[in-house]
Amino acid sequence: MPIRLSPSIESSPKLAPKSLWNDAWYRLKSNVLAMFGLAFFVFVTLLSYIAPPFYPYSPEEQNNELGATPPFAQAIELRYDQEQVEADETIKVKEFLEVYASAPDQELTKIQQGEHLDIDGLYFKLSDETHVLGTDTRGRDLFARILQGGQISLGVGFLATFVALVIGIAYGAIAGYVGGRTDAFMMRAVDILYALPFLIFVILLMVVFEGFKYDILLIFIAIGAVEWLTMARIVRGQVVHLRSQDFVLAAKSMGVGTFSILWRHIAPNILGPVIVYATLLIPAVMLLESTLSFLGLGIRPPNASWGTLIKEGAELMQVYPWLLIVPAAFFSLTLFSMNFLGDGLRDALDVKSSKD
Amino acid sequence: MLRFISIRLLQSIPVLFVIYTITFFMVKMAPGGPFSDERKVAQHIIDQQNAYYGYDAPTSVQFFKILYQHITLDLPPLTSFPGLTAADIISESLPVSIELGLLAIIFALIIGIPAGIIASAKQNSILDHGPMSVSMLGICLPTFVIGPLLSLVFALWLGWFNSSGWFSWSDRILPALTLGLYYAAYIARMTRGGMLEVLNADYIRTARAKGNSETTIVLKHALRGGIMPVVSFLGPALAGLISGSFVVETLYQIPGLGRHFIQAAVNRDHFLILSTVLLYATLIIIANLVVDVVQVLLNPKLKYD
Repeated sequence: MPIRLSPSIESSPKLAPKSLWNDAWYRLKSNVLAMFGLAFFVFVTLLSYIAPPFYPYSPEEQNNELGATPPFAQAIELRYDQEQVEADETIKVKEFLEVYASAPDQELTKIQQGEHLDIDGLYFKLSDETHVLGTDTRGRDLFARILQGGQISLGVGFLATFVALVIGIAYGAIAGYVGGRTDAFMMRAVDILYALPFLIFVILLMVVFEGFKYDILLIFIAIGAVEWLTMARIVRGQVVHLRSQDFVLAAKSMGVGTFSILWRHIAPNILGPVIVYATLLIPAVMLLESTLSFLGLGIRPPNASWGTLIKEGAELMQVYPWLLIVPAAFFSLTLFSMNFLGDGLRDALDVKSSKD
Repeated sequence: MLRFISIRLLQSIPVLFVIYTITFFMVKMAPGGPFSDERKVAQHIIDQQNAYYGYDAPTSVQFFKILYQHITLDLPPLTSFPGLTAADIISESLPVSIELGLLAIIFALIIGIPAGIIASAKQNSILDHGPMSVSMLGICLPTFVIGPLLSLVFALWLGWFNSSGWFSWSDRILPALTLGLYYAAYIARMTRGGMLEVLNADYIRTARAKGNSETTIVLKHALRGGIMPVVSFLGPALAGLISGSFVVETLYQIPGLGRHFIQAAVNRDHFLILSTVLLYATLIIIANLVVDVVQVLLNPKLKYD
């Protein structure tokens, strides 16, 4: 019986060679949840860093008249003089109904249809100002604040992960490559550190440097300084395994220097696990930062992260539930998407999990 | 086993010493002391306070004096609670935190283990995918998001519980749920993973060949091995429970040790910070030791090393 190739192979005369990365990308593409995670994460990141200049409201601009309006709430412009271009005041619908309207329902309907209304010499008109996600108690636009918070939360996530990566990779690579007693000692230290409740030390670090001018810088250094342990273990395990491989021995026998071996021969091979754990570390770091902010120990005003927004929302949730629900939704969805992406990458790059 | 336990206990002494040293110098480096006040205080009063609390001694003397006080458990008076020692604060608030932590972990085990067992026994069915998707939610949602949402829905909208306080048994439910949900989710996933591994083992096939019922096989033969990952997880889980209790106790205004620790850090009460950190570290070391012993008891193939 003649061997029949599958039609797809027969029809394509030349198959492009596939690298490991092509292959991984192909596998990742078929993972719906991971692709959703990637798309959402890219979307949120771009939104936070690019959208603010194009968004009409600034996160600092306060408008006490329009404090704590729910999402999509309408506002009404009030003019003392009909000809005036600028509105004298912008008021809430509730205030209009309670203070100015004589026949509330009809007048409100007219205004909502776009009519200009004249009540006792005051001119009312529907405002173009719509706050998509509502405003906080000081009348600041919630969406603008979420974008600003996203910049800080994501920024801390990226930078602290970077700090953790640098420390973890250097530590793990040295321990793994040097080996012997140094390795045993260094890894025993990691074991001991693993058993400590980190939040306590991060809290202490935050207290030690309280009032320090660059508090955000401090946060990612503090978090990065405690989150490097897993990375060190992974890198060390990989290096120990790779060190005894034939291609490294071959390089050694040809007189390649230690640094060159680490950089040219070992580094490319640990890239996969490093990428996977960096992806999973970003949400873990963001979680730690917002926990600190929630406890009042992290980002301080005037800066705001998603953690501080959730904290503010939680204090007011009884009266203004959207102030809690909206930031919490943004934060949770970002964490989800990063975790799904990390899991997907782990499968795609075929990295063995150290946990399960 | 006795040898193993005593070696581990001896090893923990340098660990505790290092933790004490790090914490001591961290709090000493912190700007603003326990007596910095917004109001102006006369210099002779500050001097008196410094002398009373031993702050006038050189740092090295303070270091060994406080260390000695902790070893003999003769704790110094606190600066933020004049007249009380850390022992008074801890004996009052630690039981609350322990009760919260125990309730949370019991809740997590009661939910997590059965969910994991059912998911593994009915792999790839709706009983597997359903609970496992929910558990992903539980792992991703942080405590300080779950907590306010739970109290928004169950305390404020439905009015079933109080939104804060620690008085009646119903006040325990929401905090324990908030703290335990993450662990329930994690334990469910670990149980499922561990059980699936065991259910493919040869001795399970033998048990099936003998004609045992599926329930007997799962509960009697597989569970003992499948539960191992969960047991080893319970040690590290304690560290997480402590961190989680900071958030939950702040959230529901529970008078536990976590809240006191945060307050001590904010008030710069150096003695309370040191005593609390040492207590937490000791608890974690003991928990890890207990977990290691239990693991060997459950699986005789493991040896103490």
